[in-house]
Amino acid sequence: MSAERWKEDEALLESLRKGAPGAVDELLRLYQGKIFNLAMSILKNESDAEEAAQDVFMTVIRKVETFQGNSAFYSWIYRICVNTCLMRLRGKRRNETVSIEEFMPVFTDEGMHASPMDDWSKEVERDALNEELGRMIRKYTEELSEKYRVVFVLSDVEGLSNEETAKILGLSVPAIKSRLHRARLYLREQLSRYLLEGKAG
Amino acid sequence: MNCKELAYMLADYFDGSMDPRLREELDAHLAMCEPCMVFTKTYQAVSDKTRLLRRHIEYEIPPEVRKRLEKFVHAAALKYPEKIREYRDQVERDRRGKIADLVSAAAAGRLSSAIALLMESHCAACPECGEYFDSLRKTGTPPSVDPPDGIRAHVITLMQTLPPGEEFFLA
Ligand SMILES: [Zn+2]
Ligand SMILES: [Zn+2]
Repeated sequence: MSAERWKEDEALLESLRKGAPGAVDELLRLYQGKIFNLAMSILKNESDAEEAAQDVFMTVIRKVETFQGNSAFYSWIYRICVNTCLMRLRGKRRNETVSIEEFMPVFTDEGMHASPMDDWSKEVERDALNEELGRMIRKYTEELSEKYRVVFVLSDVEGLSNEETAKILGLSVPAIKSRLHRARLYLREQLSRYLLEGKAG
Repeated sequence: MNCKELAYMLADYFDGSMDPRLREELDAHLAMCEPCMVFTKTYQAVSDKTRLLRRHIEYEIPPEVRKRLEKFVHAAALKYPEKIREYRDQVERDRRGKIADLVSAAAAGRLSSAIALLMESHCAACPECGEYFDSLRKTGTPPSVDPPDGIRAHVITLMQTLPPGEEFFLA
């Protein structure tokens, strides 16, 4: 989180508390896109995400007077968003996602790589591939179950530290790291298959 | 360290939380194991690319959703201060009632001994209040239960300094 962002948050918090004119516009300007994106990545449904975003902003406006400021403002609002979305998911039957186990790397009994590795790390540096790659990463992220998805989105997409993500989700740092690692392993495997197929076809 | 162990330590390797001795071991393994080198490079490419391509990965908020949300949040924000104001007005009304009671009680000599003592010592030091309450006592009934602002402020302070558990009025 940049120093500038901290300052913006501080100023926003102050003006929200005072009920200053323009405070709500500023809140929307800074957080509307982020909250919708986070809600979408958890709920994967536009109208659910929209309703969740409404709830999030309602909560923020109601509770901003009592917000203690022990944690950063953005971490507080993300936390409200995550909780709101998880509550919504709880009520619904979860559409089962792919089993992550099938996409973990395979090793021999001696702990060696069981199959040869294809090095596509240089290939994906080509900018021409960016849009397609972004789309594929999003698609594979959506396949993850919510447990891994939320962590991956907060850490690798939004760029928060493990500590920040842990605070937002109310989990330990080791739990965050283990989920993040598995999410990356899954994406690595899926991207490998995708890029190899592309070459073959 | 074998390839499997290495694969499961990569998160620590990249976030810098790895023990330096393990890191040395891992680097040594990487230097002599082609599959692990490729695995590590592609693993790192996943998170590097993800951060780089955020714009493509994040969900764009559709314009009509944005509009609806803005409308909703503004309406909610307008409603909220109204509720706060209602609450503050209520508190203010309650306080006025209490002051009125206190002033009548002072005029009728029905103050509890604790508040009477506070009042007495304040009036001795504050001519404004002294004069006001003196005249109240002389006329017997208060002409108006809403005292002037200056006096009102002093009475509020007095009420707030009353120790907890002490009554305002005689039973
Ligand atoms: Zn190896
Ligand atoms: Zn006075």
